[in-house]
Amino acid sequence: MNNPSFIAVAGPSGSGKTTWIQQSFKDQTAPLFYFYPGLDTISVDLMRLGYGFPEVQVIPDQQAQQVLSSLPDGAVVYLELGFHLSLESPLLSALPCHQVAVVPPYLQESEWHEWADEIVLGNDIAMLDAVKQPELWHTPLQGQVFDPPSLEVVLVELTGGAYGKVHRLKGIFEMPDGQALYIDFVAGLEGIEYTELNIPRWLEGRPHRLSGIEVTGYNLEQKLIAQTLLDGSLADDMIASYQQQYKTLNPVEEEIAV
Amino acid sequence: MEQWAILSGIEGNLVAYEALLDDIRRQRDSVAELYVLGDVVGLKGDNRAVVQRLQSPRTGELEPQVCIGWWEEQCFNLYLLGGLPDAPELIAQEGADTAQHLFESVSRESVEWMRSLHFGFHELDCLLIHGSTVGYADELTPDMPAIQLCDRLIRADAKNLFCGRSGLAFECWIEPSDLCSTIVTLEGTQAPKEQGRSPRRVVGVGNVGRILGQATYTLYNPANNHITFKTVKYGKAKGFALQGSQSQHGHESPDIRASR
Amino acid sequence: MKLAVMSCIHGNYEALNAVLSDIDRHKTDQIYCLGDLVGYGPHPNAVVEMIRSLDIPTCQGCWDEDIVDGLNACDCSYPSQLAEKRGKQAHEWTDQVIHPEVREYLANLPITLQAENLAFVHGSPNSQHEYLLPSMDGFAALERVLSTGADVLFCGHTHVPYVRDLEGGKLSMRVHQPGQAETQKQSTVSLKRIINAGSVGEPRHGRPNATYVLYDTDSKQVTLREVPYDYQKTCLAIVEQGLPPIFAWRLARGMEFAERADDPNHVCQR
Repeated sequence: MNNPSFIAVAGPSGSGKTTWIQQSFKDQTAPLFYFYPGLDTISVDLMRLGYGFPEVQVIPDQQAQQVLSSLPDGAVVYLELGFHLSLESPLLSALPCHQVAVVPPYLQESEWHEWADEIVLGNDIAMLDAVKQPELWHTPLQGQVFDPPSLEVVLVELTGGAYGKVHRLKGIFEMPDGQALYIDFVAGLEGIEYTELNIPRWLEGRPHRLSGIEVTGYNLEQKLIAQTLLDGSLADDMIASYQQQYKTLNPVEEEIAV
Repeated sequence: MEQWAILSGIEGNLVAYEALLDDIRRQRDSVAELYVLGDVVGLKGDNRAVVQRLQSPRTGELEPQVCIGWWEEQCFNLYLLGGLPDAPELIAQEGADTAQHLFESVSRESVEWMRSLHFGFHELDCLLIHGSTVGYADELTPDMPAIQLCDRLIRADAKNLFCGRSGLAFECWIEPSDLCSTIVTLEGTQAPKEQGRSPRRVVGVGNVGRILGQATYTLYNPANNHITFKTVKYGKAKGFALQGSQSQHGHESPDIRASR
Repeated sequence: MKLAVMSCIHGNYEALNAVLSDIDRHKTDQIYCLGDLVGYGPHPNAVVEMIRSLDIPTCQGCWDEDIVDGLNACDCSYPSQLAEKRGKQAHEWTDQVIHPEVREYLANLPITLQAENLAFVHGSPNSQHEYLLPSMDGFAALERVLSTGADVLFCGHTHVPYVRDLEGGKLSMRVHQPGQAETQKQSTVSLKRIINAGSVGEPRHGRPNATYVLYDTDSKQVTLREVPYDYQKTCLAIVEQGLPPIFAWRLARGMEFAERADDPNHVCQR
């Protein structure tokens, strides 16, 4: 019998933890588990994981005890530690983890270095203000479809600091052509990354699938951000007309069955 | 070789349209597409009958692809489905009585059908439209300044711009060249750019219904880019069509029965 | 004769004052204004009063037109839904605060002005809403100048100043009509020029400074002017007046309150 293995991944916000974990998923044949203690189920990372790696089982907080005690043969469990979870948590010390720190290349000494069994060089990000914990604001956006040029304006303003200082922004946004975009911004890195999720186009009304945004930063004007996002989201008739237009222009492409 | 038949301005003249359909059937090279570039309705004919004829082609006939013309736009205005409720352009041009006559000569259902039509068609490297992308009323003629036709071709984003507003049958090749454009901004002077384009063409497709007894339309062969203007003479009394034809190179097509 | 040409003040009184002082220093003979006196900015009445009191010949911009006729710019002139919502907010605010005599003044502004071989428009000779961007096809741009009959066309509306020289353009035309002999014509167009005056009150060149142009009718020399001013004052007034604070944020970055349309050559069909 093969004992399950545990890999704990930590590092500063935006260093590339999730990216590293998702890279690791790619060459695994073992049953895979993912656990992000304290992470809300509306987390963008979880949504992206669900779309990109449907075979990976996500462990919800409240079922952690139960799932971890009955893992299948040879299971590999990835534990991702957010900045809000201490490296000395009792949960960590209870599990026989291989500890991986994803840190920016310039960082030579840190609590992560001391903690880690393995150091992975990640993004060249700016470090957060160590004194003050940043805010995390997130909201589900399920059913909302965005006007692309409006979304671009909002994102430029948001990441440019118009609604508070943004350190990190992640989101999954539905587009009128039925595609969903994964959007990623890290302060200090060049530009905003747009990635099309490899999932079927949703061309029948408002999408019944997960999407959302999360922003980490300081002095975030949360109400204003939400309102501005909504100002760029499309009404039913506009969604219907864009979807119809897309279907007319691309009649051969297979449509998603609801 | 398959050709397109392109026409405009039936203007309610069903007899003229029937004569033209007969002529299309007689073409040696088969006609694969039938485009109607607006002005389906007008003042002198039976608008209801023409709309119905276009809506329901007979078995074996081509499905006409119809776009909106200036007269249709006036109907939208009169039926309060357009941007200018009192149809000021129509009233200025034709008077209030005429406007009333037009209003009565079309049904609301017909106008709703017109409303569902396209502004124009982009096919291959061609734009087929009533006026131009500037509007239904834009009347392109060979007497316009070359720069204006050049502008309409640039806006059309096509090598061939087929239009019908003028009612004239013409083809006009425009070749812009040798323009040197230099731009200075706050950041400095940009390197001058030479601008020019390969020749492009504006084609007036003629008019079907305006002149009684004589309908003109255009045949276009996309494979060799060849244009043929056709004139169909018709008269109720004779019961058959007389026709003449002239092509780009002046030679006459061999299927002529009687020439002018 | 030395001319100063300015455009797109958009209720930004601070910027207008700075530009007028700069014009004073350059001792010009005549000032022209290409419209959009109001909209987005916090001082529409003061800006109009200033332009009126100085008797500056002005043509009507798209915002001036909308304030007079009600918001009837077609949706297509907004590049995004968000820009449209913001535009409407700005419109409603301006519509509320504007004085009746200011509205009347805006209503009576001409669409184009002409002085000898110079023409002045807000957007293009076709429409106050059309953008003459420097990237526009050269022959299309040439058509806009030629349609006025002038040699130099002054415009604004894009909020980024530029000068474009169009020289040596040739047009050949070959016409065939049934029953007529084929005809051919060729013409060459002499040097024509488009001068975009930028924006006094809502710059979009990435810096908050006001822009306008100087033109010498004798030497034909054009100078693009960029004038720093206390934009923080305007930003503060925007917030104080209850206009959306994002307008202030964008102004301070030279981003313009609402970005321009996607299809710049679009002509509204309303």
